[in-house]
Amino acid sequence: MKDCTEYIQNLCSYVDGEADDSICKEIEKHLKDCPECRVMVDTLKKTVVLCKEGEKKHLPAELRAKLKSALEKKWKERFGNEADEETPPDGEK
Amino acid sequence: MLAGSQLRVDIRFAKRVLIAYNHPMNEKELVIHARGGDRDAFNELISNYIDKIYRLGFKVSGNEEDAQDILQETFLKAIDKIESFRSEASFGTWLYSIAMNVMRGCFAQRKKMALKPIEDYAPDHSDTGSSGLFKWNDPHEMFENSQIQGIIDDFIAEMPEENSTPFILRYIEEMPVKEIAGVMGLSVSAVKSRILRARLALREHISSKMEEKMP
Ligand SMILES: [Zn+2]
Ligand SMILES: [Zn+2]
Repeated sequence: MKDCTEYIQNLCSYVDGEADDSICKEIEKHLKDCPECRVMVDTLKKTVVLCKEGEKKHLPAELRAKLKSALEKKWKERFGNEADEETPPDGEK
Repeated sequence: MLAGSQLRVDIRFAKRVLIAYNHPMNEKELVIHARGGDRDAFNELISNYIDKIYRLGFKVSGNEEDAQDILQETFLKAIDKIESFRSEASFGTWLYSIAMNVMRGCFAQRKKMALKPIEDYAPDHSDTGSSGLFKWNDPHEMFENSQIQGIIDDFIAEMPEENSTPFILRYIEEMPVKEIAGVMGLSVSAVKSRILRARLALREHISSKMEEKMP
């Protein structure tokens, strides 16, 4: 019987359903005889589930405003004031 | 009568409406407009990636200041290099690859823990039999979700970013492996093995935290 080390390289692909059929069959055969690798598969799955449960962070509003003004400044340096800017031309209020 | 500046603002607004509803510009068109100095087109191009790149920076660094720096630096570089974007790649892939370079620079000085080689995570049957893997039933019975997320985030931030980045893109942003390879300038198999190493290390870390918690 092959050592578990030989299966571990493909466990991630197996767990994600991306392994070739022949590899899947080999792994499944090994899993029948190896409780350790079964626990490994189970906990590898749970690891990703736990990661996905985390809330998706968004850029806070004040940082968004900071980013916006930094990018505006940079844009003006690069391209100058464009015709579609909100800045009124001279002489207007 | 409208004042000149008022009219200008209205034209600008009308243009946005036009872009949004009547004629949604595709990515290629937006890039052409952005290159010509159209800031609205650029803003449109980056709008989908602000939160994504912020999250990536936050996970990899473990703190908000670094995440903000990475995000800003990425977009400033994108403005600088907008002419060098060739549309063979998607704009997102191009943007992420800039973020990769920014992060590489950011973490070059920092010492991160080294991960074990993949084989070392395999179950070991050779010794006394005390090496049994610990089976987690429901992790939520042992920890509150916020505690689990804290354990995960702290550990990911300690990992070398060459492992954490592809792991985050794969499982948190759900990016296909092939695209991650494009973004990181690596082969698919190299990406897969980096992700595997990160996943095995994280699995082991969570497991040890669970075991500690056992009565
Ligand atoms: Zn095994
Ligand atoms: Zn075995």
